[in-house]
Amino acid sequence: MSYLLDPDNWEWVFTGNNARFLLEAFATNVQIALIAMVLALALGLVLALMAISTFTPVRLAGKGWVDVFRNIPLILLILYLALSLPESLRGFWVDNAPGFLPEALRSQFVLAGIGGLVLYNSAVLAEVFRAGILSLDSGQREAAAALGLSYRQQMRLVVLPQGLRRMVPATVSQLITLNKDTTLVSIIAIQEVVRSGRVLTQTAGNPFAGGGVDAPILQVMIFIGMLFVIVNFALSRLSRRLEVREGRRTAVRRPPVAEPAAA
Amino acid sequence: MINVLTENLDDFAAGLWVTTRLVAGSFVVALVLGTLVAALRVADTRTLRRLGTVYVEIFRNVPLLVLLFIAFPGVLRGGVEISPWTAGIIALGVYTSAYVAEVLRSGVAAVSAGQLEAGLSLGLTRLAVLRRIVLPQAFRTVIGPLGSITIAMVKNSAIVGASIVALPDILKEARIVNSNTFQTTEAFFWAAVCYLLITVTVTVVFRGLETRYAIRR
Repeated sequence: MSYLLDPDNWEWVFTGNNARFLLEAFATNVQIALIAMVLALALGLVLALMAISTFTPVRLAGKGWVDVFRNIPLILLILYLALSLPESLRGFWVDNAPGFLPEALRSQFVLAGIGGLVLYNSAVLAEVFRAGILSLDSGQREAAAALGLSYRQQMRLVVLPQGLRRMVPATVSQLITLNKDTTLVSIIAIQEVVRSGRVLTQTAGNPFAGGGVDAPILQVMIFIGMLFVIVNFALSRLSRRLEVREGRRTAVRRPPVAEPAAA
Repeated sequence: MINVLTENLDDFAAGLWVTTRLVAGSFVVALVLGTLVAALRVADTRTLRRLGTVYVEIFRNVPLLVLLFIAFPGVLRGGVEISPWTAGIIALGVYTSAYVAEVLRSGVAAVSAGQLEAGLSLGLTRLAVLRRIVLPQAFRTVIGPLGSITIAMVKNSAIVGASIVALPDILKEARIVNSNTFQTTEAFFWAAVCYLLITVTVTVVFRGLETRYAIRR
């Protein structure tokens, strides 16, 4: 306990560029989360529409995809993709990654990391979308059909605008999970915040690199944890507010789509 | 395809056993802590409720990987001799307990207030009412969600093995098989099957519990 509370150890976290180094790496995590979220949302919507399709092969393909990627541990998926990513693709990304990305996102395993996050989250979000669409009263679609709208028009004009709005809270809570899961790409050598924390505490134990003291890895990790708690707590508050506003706007007492059990 | 499994059956079986023990230990920790925190969150003292909320908000929002680095190398650096097993089980258990507490709290909310009032009017203390009347019913309404949390915990256990070297779980064994045989797809495919074996078992057990004990509301 005395070690945990020792002010010297906490001071270490904020000396020199240590805290800035960690904060910059944390920004990489947030960027990975946002990129993966946008891609996973697009893919998830396609998968959800496939899963409710009346054309059997398409429906089975959508459901199969969702069932496979939802039930694999994410870290297994990321590791597998990194190990099986062909040399050529790795080189292609290093050479052709857009310049506005931070350096950590232009390294060779980024495609595997983001790919794994997108595959997993697309499956989870597809389930959320599907529940959102199916929670809508079937009369809505029947009415749209009775007005002579085509299947695509029914979806685009009537079903999706209502169904998607209802799944906003569940989506935000999945974004929180995704934000936490970005730390997993540290395993495949992408320089995000957990890896930076380890680099920081390893070099600091080295008398040539950071002075002869043992780095306080406990304090560094607690600091990193607090960064996540702050950002994710803000997100969960946002989600709750959206839920309340939605309830007030439509004045309809319907339960929102259940959050995925993303422990 | 199948020969990668049969020739490395010992490795996969060892990994399966490690993961199973890890999950079982963490499940106990998560259930005990989760119940305590849920009790805090429905306490009649405001300070206790706050305490419960802070606990849930912290451990639900922090990445498991960070918790693991706090629990093992972090605590070791602090001079406490913690074994890799203890660290892994506690980290995974504590992380999951926040979710268990949330689910249980919703279960408690689903038990009608009349039950609490009836218990109090019989002269039981609030804690006794919670322990003997409300919580047993709350558990029975949330068997399904508890099952989902347990399945998520099985998948999260792979993170424990990936960060604590001394815990050779399924994923670690798959990496060993991969480096021995260079059959990446096969090694990871069978690892995924091993995880599926556990999650399917968990699903069956919880479905059994649900048909036996669940209360529909």
